[in-house]
Amino acid sequence: MGDRDHPDYKILVVDDEPDLERLVRQRMRRHIRKGKYGFEFAGNGVEALEVLTEKTDIDIVLSDINMPKMDGLTLLQQIPEVNSDLRSVIVSAYGDMENIRTAMNRGAFDFVTKPIDFTDLEVTIERTLRHLDEWRAALASRDKLVAIQNELDVATKIQQSILPDTFPHVDGCEVYGCMHAARNVGGDFFDVINLDAGRIGLAVADVSDKGVPAALFMMSSRTLLKGAAIGVEDPSTVLREVNDLLNETNDAAMFVTVFYGVYDPSTRVLTFSNGGHNPPLVVHPDGSSEELELTGGLALGAIPGFEYGQASVRLSPGDLVVFFTDGVTEAINVSNEEFGLESVQALFREPPTPTAREAAEMILQAVKDFAGEAPQFDDLTCMTLRVADE
Amino acid sequence: MNVQVEHHDKVLVARVEGRVDSSNSQDFERQLQGAIGEDVNAVVIDLGQLAYISSAGLRVVLLVAKTLGQRNVSISLCALSDPVQSVFEISGFNRIIQIYDTQADALAAAG
Repeated sequence: MGDRDHPDYKILVVDDEPDLERLVRQRMRRHIRKGKYGFEFAGNGVEALEVLTEKTDIDIVLSDINMPKMDGLTLLQQIPEVNSDLRSVIVSAYGDMENIRTAMNRGAFDFVTKPIDFTDLEVTIERTLRHLDEWRAALASRDKLVAIQNELDVATKIQQSILPDTFPHVDGCEVYGCMHAARNVGGDFFDVINLDAGRIGLAVADVSDKGVPAALFMMSSRTLLKGAAIGVEDPSTVLREVNDLLNETNDAAMFVTVFYGVYDPSTRVLTFSNGGHNPPLVVHPDGSSEELELTGGLALGAIPGFEYGQASVRLSPGDLVVFFTDGVTEAINVSNEEFGLESVQALFREPPTPTAREAAEMILQAVKDFAGEAPQFDDLTCMTLRVADE
Repeated sequence: MNVQVEHHDKVLVARVEGRVDSSNSQDFERQLQGAIGEDVNAVVIDLGQLAYISSAGLRVVLLVAKTLGQRNVSISLCALSDPVQSVFEISGFNRIIQIYDTQADALAAAG
């Protein structure tokens, strides 16, 4: 609540009738004393603009129409240039519809007629102030939304920036990956980690749920995985360590499915451990393909102390390994049909096998074409490893 | 998505119908947690009418299983369709949550 020196609302009364000030102060004395309304007075439009320029906290302008120097209708046109966060109420002669219409067209919020009925004026002021409060609240929440949107945009950039955008040039193979988040921030990630002796660590992962909580969990998962991958030889040990670390603080029961493999270009052997992730697809040069075996794993973060299995596969020249998240296979079209693994396999049935980059882009494009106008709720991630032709 | 609840003595059976994905997983969590009162010894979640579950839905199942585990209430799933069974196998959740072929099997085990 305000007080007499700091009223809740300030009203500027503009009228060339000198007795009006005394009348307003007398009839509104209760509101003035309680600090609800404070009043300023001006004798014409020019004076009113001077007051508005000097005092920027005026909430309502209550203005007569016919005044010397500058009339009320001209004042209405000038007000937005000085203060756009107030509302104007016009005082007009009874039945003067032409001026009232002009005033409303020029942005007046309401009008009262002469002679002023102060009960009616109070009602009009209250209505105007309620509208102004709602308007200001709406503006504030819009500003807040804009601020949140801006922060999300920053988060999106941060998240995209930690995903690899350059890929190692290694003799004997090429790697490519990309991610499209369904919302501003996503729960998918992939990583390509340079290990010793020319080996490459390849990870693709999908955090349960979407949005900001998933993105935070994704960031810590990715960092933990990278740290473990550099220090540890076996993919199964990498997943065990990350799983135990994620379980230390995880009240929300979030989890992340991770496929992690180490590829050695000199032997063409991919050693991998699958932590609850959909198995990658190996596409052969003749167009046939099969999924890599599950290794008895479990999504990371679910329970501590879990022992992960691992397996190895020796790839052949020309083989393509497609790592992806279920956003690819579970994308739905307008008829609610899933894209499915078969659709991924069908893309590569006709030789020759595309390059790593072509393959990843083909898949994402095919998913987009399939989904059409259907809304997508899941992130799309695709990473590819292409063994060089013989 | 809809959760229907029946009580068999101190065993609560929750039947989940429809699809559970990130768009309705919070509602799924509310319905499931809300259905489980203090006075149960075991919870059987019947997924026979569940057409699809995403990882967001799995998270809810895991959360409920963890909460019940702390209270020493057993939890099992039953009657999974092939696609749903495959989601549990790939994620590895079939290794940490008991799954039965039929509701009768689950109830017999929950005794």
